[in-house]
Amino acid sequence: MAGLRPIKFRLLELFSDEKEHWNYEIVVKMQKEYNMNSNFGRDSINFDILELASGGMLKSVESKIDEDGVYKKGFLLHKYVITDFGKTRASDACLMYV
Amino acid sequence: MDIRELKKLENKRKMNKGYMWALFCAILWGIWYIPGTIIWAVPPFDAMWVDIDATHGGSMATIVVALLISAFNALTVIVALLIWNGYLGKLGEMKRTLKEFHPCSKWFFLASIFGGPIAILGSFIAIGFIGAGFAAVAALTYPVIGSILARQWYGEQISKRAWMGILVIIVGGLTIFVGGAIAEISAGNLSYIGYIGGLMAALGWGIEGAIAGKGLDIAEPDVGITIRFLGENLLYWVILIPIAALAGYPILEYALQAFTPLAMLVLGFAGITFGFCYVCWYKSFPLIGVGRGQGIGNLYGLCAVIFMYLFMAQVPAWTVLIGGALCVLGSFVMISEETGEMESLRGE
Repeated sequence: MAGLRPIKFRLLELFSDEKEHWNYEIVVKMQKEYNMNSNFGRDSINFDILELASGGMLKSVESKIDEDGVYKKGFLLHKYVITDFGKTRASDACLMYV
Repeated sequence: MDIRELKKLENKRKMNKGYMWALFCAILWGIWYIPGTIIWAVPPFDAMWVDIDATHGGSMATIVVALLISAFNALTVIVALLIWNGYLGKLGEMKRTLKEFHPCSKWFFLASIFGGPIAILGSFIAIGFIGAGFAAVAALTYPVIGSILARQWYGEQISKRAWMGILVIIVGGLTIFVGGAIAEISAGNLSYIGYIGGLMAALGWGIEGAIAGKGLDIAEPDVGITIRFLGENLLYWVILIPIAALAGYPILEYALQAFTPLAMLVLGFAGITFGFCYVCWYKSFPLIGVGRGQGIGNLYGLCAVIFMYLFMAQVPAWTVLIGGALCVLGSFVMISEETGEMESLRGE
């Protein structure tokens, strides 16, 4: 079961399809999987995505302002894609690139 | 405000948050030297020193007492961290991370070797032999080791400005360190083992930061730091304390006597300050990188000197004041760096 792996492992796994994903889409998916439905849970998962990007494992390819309130109204939304370094770390974590 | 400016602002906010965590780390770390000094005079640790001194000499007594104090420090830190993780609802994530030993939690266990029995024990040895002021400043060079290792090992970006800040902080640290050492040499009572303790702290914390950075790539900082202290507790209570007991030191007897309200109060104070200083330290790494996190965290040297002056009436020497001022200057050089365009800390 995917939910049994640490959150950042699962995040890398979700990005391992090498497609671009908006942060809010991933956050909603993760909230359901990990039963983290509070605002704290939402922000905590988004912060994990931010840390992965800060660590060079994800790269922001597109940004837009959240005008419809899909994540947080007025906030900046990011579309991320996994980097080569992210693939290497995903591979270290025994994900799909092994 | 257009997207580009918002993005720049977001990056800046992220970096500022990282710097804030590192600054909190410095303040809490500085406060930790107060219980770290007081505990030596609290029963049963004072009696333990006298007891071992009578049979094995003063140096050995200081090392063995430092070992027991370090072990209790690790114990109270893990209690504080477990409560913290329970409050954040991250105990489930801790269990998941612990299970991933090979890809992830091994880094935290490895970090615990360098951060625990090398850095923290070394620091207590330095406190015991020389004093808290020295112990605090002796480790100030650790960001150089952490930054170089993080750069060589996983290509962490360190700008020229960040390097400049780190170097100013180091010059400040060395001013404090050399000033104290010269005074000791001229007084003719240089404590070599204390200086080795100081070196252990600098090397241990520098290496720990770089190793922890590797684990933190794929783990949550609150969880990572708790696993790191779990490792440190295992090292002390399963390996080092039994070895000291088997070697004939009365360490277990005194460990059992340490569960008094006063000793637990002081150790609890140490656990809370040190536990949360580490939480802040680890939280800063994914946001600003190991080099900057350690560079700002280095302000603990100055904080320790201030707190030791305020609460323990230890008056700093003029070299300490100059060195402290340099540490503050270096940190401001790092913080004033333009970070709006920096999205990733890595080379990619």
